[in-house]
Amino acid sequence: MPRLMLTRCMPLLPLVPALLLLAAPEAAAREAQLRVARLSTAVATLQQVRVQLRWQDQAAQGELQVWAGKVDAPGLGYHCRDLHWRCPLRRSPTGWQCAGALRSGSLPPLQLALQLETASTRVLLAQGRARLKVEQVAATPDLTTLELQKVPLAWAQALLTQAWPAAQFKAGTLDGRLQVHAPTAAPLRVQGDLQLGAASFATTDAGIVGEQLSGTLQMDYRSAAAHASVQLDGQWHAGEFLAGNTYVALPASPVQFHVQAEQRAGQGWQLPRIEWRDGAALTAIASARLHTDGSLQGLSVQMHSDDMTPLKPRYLSGWMGMAGLGDVELHGRMDVQAQVDANGLAAVTARLEGVDVRDPNGRFVFDGLRGDVGYSAGAPVASALQWNGGQLYGLAFGAATLPFASSAGELRTRAAVKVPLMGGTLGLRDVVIRPPHGEAGMDIRFGLQLAGIDFGRISQALGLPAFQGTLGGSIPRAHYAQDRIDFDGGLNLELFDGRVAFSQLSLERPFGTAPSLSADVAMDDLDLMRLTEVLGFGSISGKLDGRIQGLRLVDWSPVAFDARFITDDAPGVRKRISQRAVQDIGSVGGSSFIQTLQGKVIALFKDFGYRRIGIGCHLENQICTMNGLHSAGNTFTIVEGAGVPRLDVVGYNRAVDWSTLVERLLAASKGDVAPVID
Amino acid sequence: MKQWMGVPVASALLLSACVTINVYFPAAEAKQAAKEFVEKVINDADKVQIKETPSGGGGGMVMQTPRARFDAARFDMAGFDPWVLLGIGSAQAQSAPDISIKTPAIQAIQSRMESRFSSSLRAGFDSGALGFTSDGLVSLRDPSKVELKDRVALNTAVADDNRDRKAVYREVAVANGHPEWEEQIRGVFAKQWISSARAGWWYQSGGAWKQK
Repeated sequence: MPRLMLTRCMPLLPLVPALLLLAAPEAAAREAQLRVARLSTAVATLQQVRVQLRWQDQAAQGELQVWAGKVDAPGLGYHCRDLHWRCPLRRSPTGWQCAGALRSGSLPPLQLALQLETASTRVLLAQGRARLKVEQVAATPDLTTLELQKVPLAWAQALLTQAWPAAQFKAGTLDGRLQVHAPTAAPLRVQGDLQLGAASFATTDAGIVGEQLSGTLQMDYRSAAAHASVQLDGQWHAGEFLAGNTYVALPASPVQFHVQAEQRAGQGWQLPRIEWRDGAALTAIASARLHTDGSLQGLSVQMHSDDMTPLKPRYLSGWMGMAGLGDVELHGRMDVQAQVDANGLAAVTARLEGVDVRDPNGRFVFDGLRGDVGYSAGAPVASALQWNGGQLYGLAFGAATLPFASSAGELRTRAAVKVPLMGGTLGLRDVVIRPPHGEAGMDIRFGLQLAGIDFGRISQALGLPAFQGTLGGSIPRAHYAQDRIDFDGGLNLELFDGRVAFSQLSLERPFGTAPSLSADVAMDDLDLMRLTEVLGFGSISGKLDGRIQGLRLVDWSPVAFDARFITDDAPGVRKRISQRAVQDIGSVGGSSFIQTLQGKVIALFKDFGYRRIGIGCHLENQICTMNGLHSAGNTFTIVEGAGVPRLDVVGYNRAVDWSTLVERLLAASKGDVAPVID
Repeated sequence: MKQWMGVPVASALLLSACVTINVYFPAAEAKQAAKEFVEKVINDADKVQIKETPSGGGGGMVMQTPRARFDAARFDMAGFDPWVLLGIGSAQAQSAPDISIKTPAIQAIQSRMESRFSSSLRAGFDSGALGFTSDGLVSLRDPSKVELKDRVALNTAVADDNRDRKAVYREVAVANGHPEWEEQIRGVFAKQWISSARAGWWYQSGGAWKQK
């Protein structure tokens, strides 16, 4: 505050001529002095005032000095101490003039020039390139005109502090013309046009910051004891602005704004109309009410966007970045109406038209969103949202309609929803969405049904081997909370003439860092011939059962499971294993062949009979502890032969590094193996 | 199918009926794992470190590159299983209490955190804008230290890093077979971020910010 003391006193300058007038009658004498203990005007109070005029006989000019110990203009927020002005006083054809340095303490001086004429009083205050002209015409004593040229915003700091104590101007200039009407019996009124150049400001905690803000402003401010009002019209040309997580980057194209605000004694500010017009990107019309402490009492806003593409870079980047959606692209048209009351969000209705939402990281895509979504914290509202299609992690889904009903802070579906998904349907029912409220995060409950989904297309989309099958199942209750979805129920996959059942499903951080899927999987009677064909794993006939317990995929790669696969003893099923499959299994198990046959002899046979095949892996900490039909020490039997020639496959070294195992599996499926053959 | 499933289940039931196994949180191992993780993230851009040798020698201060220091630290790892480092563990290795942070998912997060730390977070810690919270996260404690043009990027980096941190604490616990250790692991990491912090960086202690 002391730094700006001097500049804060500008509005008091019209008072100086009054002092001079007091001194002037004494001008004929060699020296005149005037002391005033206290001088009050409508705008300011001056204390410890001393005016001294020295005039040599016959001299063309005298020397005027004015001191003021305290100058206070509480209505404008200016408080100055120890002012001193010294200037040569000259007579002009129509009055007096005096120009000299105005000092306050040790601050750099300002140049103050005063022209005192019968019809008018003019004051010019200058520092560097900054010029502030103040003019008062005798015929209209209540009206003061201010002309500003490159005036530093810092000179208006006291005004800002009065309106917003935590805020401080950092840089910027003002140009323009203001008229101050200060009649004794009527409210103070300030009106005029201003140009703001590269203005920067910040609150003390840097929670709200503006930088390089440039624009034009028409203002009309009125202030009386019981009522203050302000009306601002203008446009922004450039700059950026941040409040909490909201970041606004003003575009090069002008943004029009209009603000009406008023405050009655003992009440908070009311803003009956706020307008923001940023071309096709955003038109917003709002009204707001504040409490006396500045907190929000109520807000009603209507927004319209004909082109949502610029919304993210201009208005939403702060929030979307925080939510991990910084790269998401928005296109289309949108209307939003929202009401906020003292309890928070009361109602929102969003109407969409041809809206596309795309995540370049491939997590989700929604195409052709249209219709509306209505949320109400109170009375019921109905809405319906449609889309043409989209993708979740590369899985394409088709057109669907979601009929919503909302009341008491919940959003529910009014009827079951069917979404075409990969050749089948995904059914959603009893969806209940509770948006984040206070400490509680987003909470979604829903029932899920899958029917007739082509697993071949899923495999293709996810880059899996070409599994063919049909996925279905019912999850009566699924619950999303705290970045985690738990599925109560299970899914069934009909695969290779057998069944695969998924249960205990849960998904952590579904759209966040390293999504983690947990499940138990049970497999029954899979046709080994078709399985080995797809995996490129030689050829084995027979049926396979298996289970994978505690499966956990992090970022879609397995990090833990306890898996065990074993051939089924179904009667009448032919059980043969090809020579290639023997080699592949051998290479995966790191095994060598023992008993009955020498390696060279294997090559003579195309396939072998087997009694049982069994293999298991317990994956933990990147190490797979392998087992087979039976284990002894560090060995485990994978294939038990049958008939002649009888072939057993035995694995050695039960602990295998997982990445090594995956490499072996991939190599085996490509036929690129070289097993150890004894 | 039922036949073979039944046997291990029955035997497991039988075993668990007779034997009570108490698993204690391996605090020392967790601390070691957290230290490796945190120092890799923080140290990446520090080419030269002055650090006390952990063991052997005449003590005192020596100049070491991070590589050399890492090796020196490994010699000091009581109970640390070198098999895990080699990538091929023995069956025995898994029975000893160990906290592994070697899964590819965790390592992928770690390297992302490492590059984020050197590209944006380190400057925030150096300027005093950022601090380590007592629950193992990062917080923008003094926004006035950040220019407006960098605020959105830094806020985003902090939010991304905190999501990664939460995922790491969770996945380290799960990868070690004890999801219930998540909070303890988070606590160990929280202490480690602070203890690995450079002089002048800020951290939260008892609700207040302190400078190291």
